[in-house]
Amino acid sequence: MITRKALPRRTFLRGLGTAAVGLPFLDAMAPAFASSTMADPPVRMAFFYLPNGMIMDAWNPTYNEGKLTELPRTLKALDPYKDDILHLGNLTHNTGRALLDGAGDHGRCSGSYLTGIQVKKSVVDIRAGVSFDQIVANEIGGKTRFPSLELGMDDARQAGDCDSGYSCAYTNNLAWRSETQPLPPTLNPRALFERLFGSGQLMTPAEHARQNKYRRSILDFVTDDTHKLEGSLGPTDRRKLDEYLSAIREVERQIQRAESDNKQIDPQMDKPYGVPADFAEHFKLMSNMIAIAFQADLTRIVTFLVTHEGTSRPYRELGIPDGHHPLTHHRSQPELMEKVRKINEYHMQQFAGFVEKMKTAKEGDRSLLDNSMIVYGAGLSDGNAHLHEDLPTLMVGRGGNYFKTGRRLLVRRETPMCNLFLTMMDRMGVHVEHFGDATGRLNGLDLG
Amino acid sequence: MPQPPARNGPPGAFFDSDFSTIDSLLAVSLLYGLQGKGDCRVAIVNTSRPNLALVGFVDMVLRFYHGPAGNFSQIPAVGMITSGTPGEISPAFTVPFQKTKADGSPTYKNQVKSVIDTGDPCTLLRNYLEAQTDKGSFVVLAGPATNLAAALAFRGLKELIAAKVKLLTLAGGAFPEGPAESHLKADIPAAKRLFAEWPTPIVVSGAEVGSALEFPGASIDKQFAEAVPDNPVADAYRAWKPMPYDTPSWAMAPALYAARPKENYFKLSDPGRITVDDQGRTSFSASENGAHRYLIVDPALKDKITAAYVELASAKPEVRRFRGPVVQDDTPPPVKK
Repeated sequence: MITRKALPRRTFLRGLGTAAVGLPFLDAMAPAFASSTMADPPVRMAFFYLPNGMIMDAWNPTYNEGKLTELPRTLKALDPYKDDILHLGNLTHNTGRALLDGAGDHGRCSGSYLTGIQVKKSVVDIRAGVSFDQIVANEIGGKTRFPSLELGMDDARQAGDCDSGYSCAYTNNLAWRSETQPLPPTLNPRALFERLFGSGQLMTPAEHARQNKYRRSILDFVTDDTHKLEGSLGPTDRRKLDEYLSAIREVERQIQRAESDNKQIDPQMDKPYGVPADFAEHFKLMSNMIAIAFQADLTRIVTFLVTHEGTSRPYRELGIPDGHHPLTHHRSQPELMEKVRKINEYHMQQFAGFVEKMKTAKEGDRSLLDNSMIVYGAGLSDGNAHLHEDLPTLMVGRGGNYFKTGRRLLVRRETPMCNLFLTMMDRMGVHVEHFGDATGRLNGLDLG
Repeated sequence: MPQPPARNGPPGAFFDSDFSTIDSLLAVSLLYGLQGKGDCRVAIVNTSRPNLALVGFVDMVLRFYHGPAGNFSQIPAVGMITSGTPGEISPAFTVPFQKTKADGSPTYKNQVKSVIDTGDPCTLLRNYLEAQTDKGSFVVLAGPATNLAAALAFRGLKELIAAKVKLLTLAGGAFPEGPAESHLKADIPAAKRLFAEWPTPIVVSGAEVGSALEFPGASIDKQFAEAVPDNPVADAYRAWKPMPYDTPSWAMAPALYAARPKENYFKLSDPGRITVDDQGRTSFSASENGAHRYLIVDPALKDKITAAYVELASAKPEVRRFRGPVVQDDTPPPVKK
């Protein structure tokens, strides 16, 4: 009889200080002769939220349903991964519409995006609802070190009027713990890194300088544990561990570079210490850490507010000095629409880098992407007309070999976005009867 | 301090039909004519027949009246039930698509290719009712009660109807008594449920009302043609059966009453309660607090009603943009010095 003691799934490399580095899913974590079901890795979900809608002629394919063949322009960067995409059409957030509340589509659409609630139009009396990611986090969050992670890259003001009488709390948060309590996103890569692998406390530049004098990497703290573990692993696991730790080291180097750049470029810049000035670099850092957090099962739930509704961020790296939001009110002027298309493409190019990471990270006989549900979407479709139907929505990943990807799927007009959320909750093992304005589960997504 | 009253716009109009009679289409034209006069704004049209060809035609009619989509002003999906049998389709809903312009291109375009181009009737009703002010809308039913009965069982919708709908008018039954009428007979359980549970007042236009008020077919080649050369409803009318013919206004009468209840086009019965028996026959019993009434035709007003039908249904489409209902005004009134 062959027996083997499996490595616990929640093993950490620990060292001096408070460093604690989680591990990816290793073969050694599966009990010997375990059935594939027993060894099934968990399903993760993430939301990448993009603001101000899209230019829909470059988002939607020219064909209605079926296999994804030629990808539309905005999605071109995902071409190598098109078999991993479910391109959903016609999903609607009715609660994002004006209904009786007049102007403020940007404030409403982000406030309602994950809550499925018509948020209260107010700058001071904030009322949304528990977002569905937090319903899931409340149920399964105890299984991981972090019940959920909330990330962003932009302004995180929580007070003031950000859109026609809607509080900035609505535009600058995706996740809501309660109807009055949003979970502000972490913007700073260093803060996220320290949270994932260190003490969780953000050090001052001076403290960092002092620490950097004595060590090169957080991995140096866990060297002993790493060596001990390596000795007990097979060659496949050793390679996997090496790739994983290298990825952490690379993220750390990127953060250190950003911190160094911050000092050299402009001491007065409008960025906290350690936040890269470059959009692509910032996105890469944050999304790499999402992949690592998923890989190490540090969390199974991430919301990433890439930039917030109404943002006037310019994209000078694309030769676009105009603000994003003003551009989206293009009044059908071709040159303005073209600039928005370029911004939409640029965002997607950054996202494609994340998808590649997720695709190349292996978990058992699947990829990390196969075990994930990554939604890339927006709370408006046509940003010029402020439309809340046919919301741009990509489901990337198979949610644990469940979704039949590689195709375009249109649902009936006015189908609530919350129907998709109910289906996603099911995949996360959280079964609720109702959420938001859902009218049922979204059918036809699975392989069956 | 009491809040000032809301600045309500015209009431939202919700129309539901199986389009089994040509006057159901005329009722849609009538509602858009009323919209042009500021008496209502057409919210959605639901159908109780799972027939894509029919829905394709209705969708095209809505696009004709609505004009191009604009900011905050999208053309709503047509709601279509997906259960039941499609039934035979009248040439009225297919022949107009064969019409061509001088350059040979189609005059009308069918944009409904499959069920995904339609909406679920209850979801549409829910979504568009949420955009209405309290008691700021009416529902007109000119077909089986299938969709509305389903709405009563739809999560939270009965309460929403009670809050947002002022009145349901429907074409059905016969009053004070008569044989079973086809609309209610088509889905008797739904009709029973509707009269038993619908949470707002109901005014019924019995078959005798529409039969007594015939829509003049001659207006198709006169007023309709003068207003717009290519009108899909006029083309459908011509294709319905050989011209010339007049048609009963079963669906138009309740639509006209709903939008202009104070115009006194019709007399009203005393309040009471309407029930539907197992054969689909209606019966009315008067009661002081009853929520149901039925319309009574005053022969002296026939010409006035017919003139209103023609004027409103033949009106040239007038594009009116609504960004949802008017925002409720919660600003305090100016202080007088």
